[in-house]
Amino acid sequence: MIVLSADLRMIRKSTPVLVFMAAALVLSGCAGSSLDQSSGTQSSGTVKIGLLVPLSGVYAPLGEDMSNGFKLYLDQHGGKLGGRTAEVVSADEGEGPQTGVPAAQKLVTQDQAAAVVGVVNSATALGLRDFFHESQKPLLIANAGADDITGARKSEYVWRTSFANGRVSAALGSTVAKEVKGGVYLIAADYAAGREMVAGFRKTFEAAGGKVAGEKYTPFGKTQDFQPFLSAIRGSDAKAVYSFYAGAEAVSFVKQYQQFGLSGSTPLYGTGFLTEGGVLDAQGEAAVGVKTSLHYSTELDTPRNKEFVAAYRKAYDEAPTVYAVQAYDAASVLDKALGSAPQASGAELVKALGAVGTVDSPRGQWSFDADHDAQQKYYLREVRSSGGAVVNAVVSELS
Amino acid sequence: MATYLVSVLNGLAMGALLFAIALGLSLVFGMMDVLNLAHGAVYLVGAYIAVALAADGASPAAFVLAVLLAGVAGAVLGGLLAGLTRATPHHLDQALLTLGVSLVVAETLSAVFGNDVHSIAAPAPVAGSVTVFGETYPVYRLLVIAFGLVLAAGVYVLVERSPLGSLIRATVADRGMVSALGVNTGRVLVGVFAAGAGLAAVGGVLAGPILGAQPGLDEKVLLLALVVVVIGGLGSVRGALLGAVLIGQVQALGTALLPEYASFLIFAAMGLVLLLRPAGLLPARAAVHA
Repeated sequence: MIVLSADLRMIRKSTPVLVFMAAALVLSGCAGSSLDQSSGTQSSGTVKIGLLVPLSGVYAPLGEDMSNGFKLYLDQHGGKLGGRTAEVVSADEGEGPQTGVPAAQKLVTQDQAAAVVGVVNSATALGLRDFFHESQKPLLIANAGADDITGARKSEYVWRTSFANGRVSAALGSTVAKEVKGGVYLIAADYAAGREMVAGFRKTFEAAGGKVAGEKYTPFGKTQDFQPFLSAIRGSDAKAVYSFYAGAEAVSFVKQYQQFGLSGSTPLYGTGFLTEGGVLDAQGEAAVGVKTSLHYSTELDTPRNKEFVAAYRKAYDEAPTVYAVQAYDAASVLDKALGSAPQASGAELVKALGAVGTVDSPRGQWSFDADHDAQQKYYLREVRSSGGAVVNAVVSELS
Repeated sequence: MATYLVSVLNGLAMGALLFAIALGLSLVFGMMDVLNLAHGAVYLVGAYIAVALAADGASPAAFVLAVLLAGVAGAVLGGLLAGLTRATPHHLDQALLTLGVSLVVAETLSAVFGNDVHSIAAPAPVAGSVTVFGETYPVYRLLVIAFGLVLAAGVYVLVERSPLGSLIRATVADRGMVSALGVNTGRVLVGVFAAGAGLAAVGGVLAGPILGAQPGLDEKVLLLALVVVVIGGLGSVRGALLGAVLIGQVQALGTALLPEYASFLIFAAMGLVLLLRPAGLLPARAAVHA
């Protein structure tokens, strides 16, 4: 009996500790993630640019690609932007606004960067909007995709060289409606980007006469096993699936889509991030046949892209990604803008950014629209196996 | 209906993995009163050993080698952690200490393997799929279920029916008395810690073809293991088994039936168990007196 009560005491003492630890883990997992961007300040022949990308956390692979893309442009242009030597100050955006916002503020206030480039996470981008608007420094977003960044919350100081979520997915809608005879199942991660992607797709898909067979949002960052959702898709008689996932979830989803036998019977469509960069390497052969829309592919058959891919491979010994191109273009845009901004002041720079015109990018020609978003072509890509490697082959241009 | 049967099957596969992972955490915490927050990091070490040795549809031999190596690496890590945590009797100190170790381990893995997501292919002979209840199902997951059954039976016999098991249970019940009988109890405790950590690392290899390997996975797995331990009750083999099977089913079947609430289901289950049975469903008391 003594033994027993001693045991019980121990258990009573221990259980709350366990529960507390579990709760702490849940809370820490809830913390959002964000992207940041850096800029630079200039003084006599040099200009300071802040580079705010995730160096740690789940977005670190994207941050590395963006940093590589930005630095490749500098290396190709003698380390100069707008005729001045660029001094790049890096800061870690981390996973969310709680790390990204202070890092960006430090780049502007302490490092006196003339402009900040980067930002992977949309929450960080939106969290930084007021700061950049009020401190009148340009923020060049090179990934974060929330529609609001160049929509409801646009600012004359915030420019985007990447994409808006809704537009990337909208580009695919009419094509899927044309190719699929029957209902299409929509599935995405349950967070702002997932819902914006699906909403954008749904609009053009239904306008082109497509029918939705079902719609499901899976817990973001908590879903490792998609079997229950895949079974629901199978039970819905959908003829195809449209999905949005990125990172680890994209790998699990595409692999399990194949393992549970759906890839043989139900074509999988998605936004390009489903099969981009390191994610595609991890998916391997399981991704073959997946069709996606995106504004870039390493397989684009243009002299400009071939030259870029070769230079990138030479510098980093790996294929470039859309994230690298977005940051590369941000450097290219800054180069032009700084050329006509002798003081590199915020007001001068945003005026110059508005006059940048057409950008000759590896992704094709693009320009800023009235809302400072990238006006660009989107491509229909299909994952194909070529010579032991899987690549996003370009099928056609999407209108 | 067949859809739900497949979900049940899938829940069993997840349950088998969770059992392997949570068992060590439960035994170490229940028996030795040590809260090991580095348990998830030990799991991640196993997962990355699988990435290094058996990432691309490796031969069964390479996969078995990865399992063995992970077991050894996990046991060594567990032994080290046992030594470290014996320095302090306080829960909070132990939690901070093991949390620190887990951060160091995770950062080291990220430095060596990079931050990319890695996937691990199942060994070639079992990489395919079969038809179960009219749906396609990966063969590898069926093997994981079989492994879980064997492990559960083996651990039950070892802990509840063998002389070594009675020594372990006696050490938990009254360490001073066992020590007075001339047994080195420190060695028993380190042994349990090492075996539990070894099992977690083996779980990392076996879960590889299902969960892959990426930074941050250690925290997700640790969280699930903690929930399993809270539900099952501390320090009990049967509790860990019940908790793991339950959480496996809640995740798979619960998600199939109530997809809108998928993110909250396991915590709802944990809350319910805590309300009704604050010490867990089958706490160590039963195990000790089995």
